[in-house]
Amino acid sequence: MTESPSATPDGAACRIGGPPDKLVYLDNAATSFPKPRSCLEGMIETYARLGVSPGRGSYDLSEEASALVDDTRRRLAAFFDAPDPERVVFAANATDALNLAIQGMVRSGGHVVSTRLEHNSVLRPLWHLRQNGGIELDLVPFDRQGLVDPADVARAIRSDTALVVVSHASQVLGTVQPVAEIAAACAERGVPLLVDAAQSAGHVPVLLHAWGLSAIAFTGHKALLGPSGSGGLVVSPEAEIVTTRFGGTGIESASLTHTQSYPHRLEAGTLNLLGIIGLAEGLSYVQAHDMAASQRREMALVRRLRAGLAALPGVVVYSPEPRDGDVPIVTCNVGGMVAADVGAILDADYGIAVRTGLHCAPLVHQDLGTAEQGAVRFSVGHFSSDDDIARALQAMTAIAESG
Amino acid sequence: MTPDLQADGGSGREFGLSRRPRQIAGRIVTFDNEGFLWTVDDWSEDLAAALAVEAGLPGLDETQWRVLHFLRQYYHENGRSPLNRALAAGTEMPLLRLETLFPGGIKQGARRLAGLPNPKTCM
Repeated sequence: MTESPSATPDGAACRIGGPPDKLVYLDNAATSFPKPRSCLEGMIETYARLGVSPGRGSYDLSEEASALVDDTRRRLAAFFDAPDPERVVFAANATDALNLAIQGMVRSGGHVVSTRLEHNSVLRPLWHLRQNGGIELDLVPFDRQGLVDPADVARAIRSDTALVVVSHASQVLGTVQPVAEIAAACAERGVPLLVDAAQSAGHVPVLLHAWGLSAIAFTGHKALLGPSGSGGLVVSPEAEIVTTRFGGTGIESASLTHTQSYPHRLEAGTLNLLGIIGLAEGLSYVQAHDMAASQRREMALVRRLRAGLAALPGVVVYSPEPRDGDVPIVTCNVGGMVAADVGAILDADYGIAVRTGLHCAPLVHQDLGTAEQGAVRFSVGHFSSDDDIARALQAMTAIAESG
Repeated sequence: MTPDLQADGGSGREFGLSRRPRQIAGRIVTFDNEGFLWTVDDWSEDLAAALAVEAGLPGLDETQWRVLHFLRQYYHENGRSPLNRALAAGTEMPLLRLETLFPGGIKQGARRLAGLPNPKTCM
């Protein structure tokens, strides 16, 4: 295997059989990587000391583990501006939390409003209910700026609308939606609003009480810098979510009816304690490093990346010019090249990790005209650097000029 | 309302792929709806040559054959297609060059002409 730099057809330097020494990781919208070393060490230390069943034993260690879980609920409630920590429900990720909420808030025969920006974590549960539960579903479009108009949501709401579900930030375009305005439109009509904060939590504020949201689904493994398998659902005191999974809760064990008090109402089985510890560590890290300052730095990087990509011949950038409150994502294509090929070249020749394809958002790509080709998504994270952006632009220049 | 979320709603084995049998290189061969062989063992050099002509190539040159044979050999030895870096190492060329060797590039060109399964990606 040759390890020395080789020349591409256009003369740009790259390597055969292996990337440069340092991986440039620009897939943080899928999973943030790497995690802060202090978080990983904190997870190991705490789990080694307290890794028992929280709230399930008559021994002190179990109570200490339970206290740690409760403390994490309180911290998450404060982070998401939620009045009741007991209504912070742990789940495996945002998809899991969205399934809990959607299936617990929508009854057969009801009507649901969502948007064409959604991830399959929203679309597929709704589609399943539409196919099997008899719900009616209307999807609101997004405009050229990647934004949903709250007035469109308001117009789509009917007298029998049971739920509105909206993603806070598009994982394809990086645009953050006017959720507070959408929430106001829902509140005027007495309809609950569920927000998918998978891409926004940890980048920008997501405020349950201040915005009047009914529930927020979030994941730990993206901008909150926690591990895979952590996340949750934050529920307002007014929201009604019925239990759709059943089992042990550690309390009221004599009853065959699942516990109906929060958080147990929506939790069943032993909690993912290691994931909760990691989520708490990630939250501490995000808060200690000034979330707003981190977001500004990451947006500056993505602005530079977007501007550089937009200037390349044959490159089509789908993400609009980033606004201050957006999340650091830019999605593009290179001429007619299959997006997966661009990703493979970036990986093998330049040591750059990106996400290609449909990003689990098929309707966004239908509307962008990229359903066949897919697209290449660059997503900046906490550890992204100026050098990472420079290398990405150098590689994309070589790829664009080869076409 | 939303169009169907499946690629084609067909009877595909996975990812909504459907069977498309057709005559090529003197026999009936089944492809999926994206033009990939349905059965890896249906591949032959005659078939690859016919697919190359269909793709607009005058024929396959030595370098192109070397790529196709590497892909076939790797698949049979490992039971899967090569990862990106193994592909670059095995073909002894940057993937940016491999992309230009076949119409359709790496996935729709090289992999398809080598008769490897349609990649299990979200596309």
